[in-house]
Amino acid sequence: MAEQLADLRVGLIGAGNIAHVHVAAWKALGARIVVYSVEGAESLAEQYGLEVAPSLDALLAEVEFVDIVTPSPTHKELALAAIAAGKDVICEKPLTLTAADSHEVLAAAEAAGVKVYPAHVVRYFPEYKAAYDAVQGGRIGAVAVARFFRQASSPAGAGWYRDVARSGGVIMDLMVHDLDQAQWLCGKVTSVYAVQNPPTVDGISPVNVSAHVTLTHESGAISLCRATWGVPGTPFRTGFHVAGASGVLKHTSGVDTGFVEELQKEANAAELLIPAAARGESPYLTQLRELAIGLRGGPEPRVLGVDGVAAVDLAEAARLSMESGKTIELNGAVA
Amino acid sequence: MKVAIASFAHTHAGSYAYLLGQMPDVEVLSADPDGAAAPDTGPRALRGAELAEKLGVPYVDSYDELFAWGPDAVVVTSENAGHRALVERAAAVGAHVLCEKPLATEVADGQAMLDACAEAGSILMIAYPVRFAPSYLRLRAMVEAGRLGDVFAVLGTNNGKIPYDARQWFTDATLAGGGALVDHTVHCADLIDGLTDGASAARVYAAANHVLHQDKGVQVETGGLVTITYDNGLLATIDCSWSVPDNGPTWGGVSLQVTGTNGSVEIEPFLPHVGGTDEKGEVFLGVGGNLDESLLATFLDAVRESGPPVPGKTPAVVPQPDGAVGLRTLQIVDAARRSAVSGQPVDL
Repeated sequence: MAEQLADLRVGLIGAGNIAHVHVAAWKALGARIVVYSVEGAESLAEQYGLEVAPSLDALLAEVEFVDIVTPSPTHKELALAAIAAGKDVICEKPLTLTAADSHEVLAAAEAAGVKVYPAHVVRYFPEYKAAYDAVQGGRIGAVAVARFFRQASSPAGAGWYRDVARSGGVIMDLMVHDLDQAQWLCGKVTSVYAVQNPPTVDGISPVNVSAHVTLTHESGAISLCRATWGVPGTPFRTGFHVAGASGVLKHTSGVDTGFVEELQKEANAAELLIPAAARGESPYLTQLRELAIGLRGGPEPRVLGVDGVAAVDLAEAARLSMESGKTIELNGAVA
Repeated sequence: MKVAIASFAHTHAGSYAYLLGQMPDVEVLSADPDGAAAPDTGPRALRGAELAEKLGVPYVDSYDELFAWGPDAVVVTSENAGHRALVERAAAVGAHVLCEKPLATEVADGQAMLDACAEAGSILMIAYPVRFAPSYLRLRAMVEAGRLGDVFAVLGTNNGKIPYDARQWFTDATLAGGGALVDHTVHCADLIDGLTDGASAARVYAAANHVLHQDKGVQVETGGLVTITYDNGLLATIDCSWSVPDNGPTWGGVSLQVTGTNGSVEIEPFLPHVGGTDEKGEVFLGVGGNLDESLLATFLDAVRESGPPVPGKTPAVVPQPDGAVGLRTLQIVDAARRSAVSGQPVDL
């Protein structure tokens, strides 16, 4: 594998929060990283020892593939630019903000003979992968009822996240992970019903908001995705409960970690050096390694462009359901 | 005080009979005339005079004898479809009523039961025991005090084993009114009702399926997700599935996660337990206390304080959850049943 990933030349587009996580993973893989960003490229490059491209074209001329970690509304044009330059694309979720745009990106990639891999990193979290493997292995029989939840401190206090046209709102931004999980575990979706409270008014999302989306799958399974942008300070928490004909699988993040800490303040103020092995491998590293191997001609990764498109299709169907107050049927037209 | 137990169809009848039998000031009489016709077999399938003997409560063979006894209060624990007739008879003989959940299988029956009790002046209380769980009482106090801010979303789960081996009527569409949607949606709906001071459901969507327990030839739905939008905007989803495997260490449980503008609280009233392992697998020793005891005490206190029903007069004490809660939660179930068939949300 080390040989397969030798001399990676990654074009990182964007320098926001998630860029730091991706940079750490690419460096662990020994990649050479060229970064281009409208803002923040210089300081990111300085912090991690990266090269800065003066323009998008300059970056595209330098690298073997791009890794798009910019705000969601820019994904489409950046992906299309990379595809036009004949470069493979790794793109943060959501692939784009609308179903039409996602289909357009995928079609362009197919026409150009390049690959698009959406970074649905939850597929690389060990708990979710373990559940997926167990379900695939028949451990709990046919899936009947699955629930997925995800809550985070609301990012919608001030910035662009409140603008649903730019962030996609709580469903496109946060729940899209679980829409992908639901489809991964339970198969193709045939209908979508969605409710959000409080509702989005004039394109502005409430700061504190929950969305509940019920999916009916072709397999006969039903699933619920619940996403909450909680009051600022809300701890990030995710989990699932999957009931099958012969068993149940469940997990909540932060529970059963095997490490419980209860220390009184200032017991030892000296900085602790935690060995890297104590943290385990980052799911982002697992993900980017697998995606890079796919781009280098190795086996296809567990998440493909069509999966990214399908997740956006579901998020869009959820929006249509909320707007109409009706169930949206997916008769192969989308997803 | 004379308390009648009408039918042993519901498994909770045994618990009520036992508890009532322990009360020094309560005389108990039971009847279960339909028990002999039940198709159940096996050690937990006991009905009628045999079960009364095992429970140590006096027994008569017919409802005529039971109601002629002149009970002060009647506990109705028949099949769901039989609730209406027994509640109406109880009201007619001037008794107060504790009725098993759900109130009825059809909204019209439920409304008739409320009317009959109102006319007779009888208390109509619904047996929703989770209302009396310490964790729920604490949650409700926090919600009422505004600790959660404005509550805007709730996730409820009531997953359990399929109530099949001892009482097959639970999976009979006519006698039960449906499957998991009917059996398990109402508990969480009641808990939400208690947190919202009786908010009404405005729109209900349900997805249901039959993937679980197909090996048992069950015709009713065994899995379901019910999403409710209330008239105050509150959003709630209830997972009502019979999704605890037959070999699970406990029957199941209830959870309620309540999210507000100041954070969220999640309760699992049946989670406190001692765990372990024995030769059959995982051990789960519940330590949550007997909620039926609090439920019965609340009902009987109200009966004592109200005195005999006076036709047309509201009882002095109206214990909660009352018939109106029973009807609101039944309306949710009925809308959920219709939505599951049509595939579209149902407006109320």
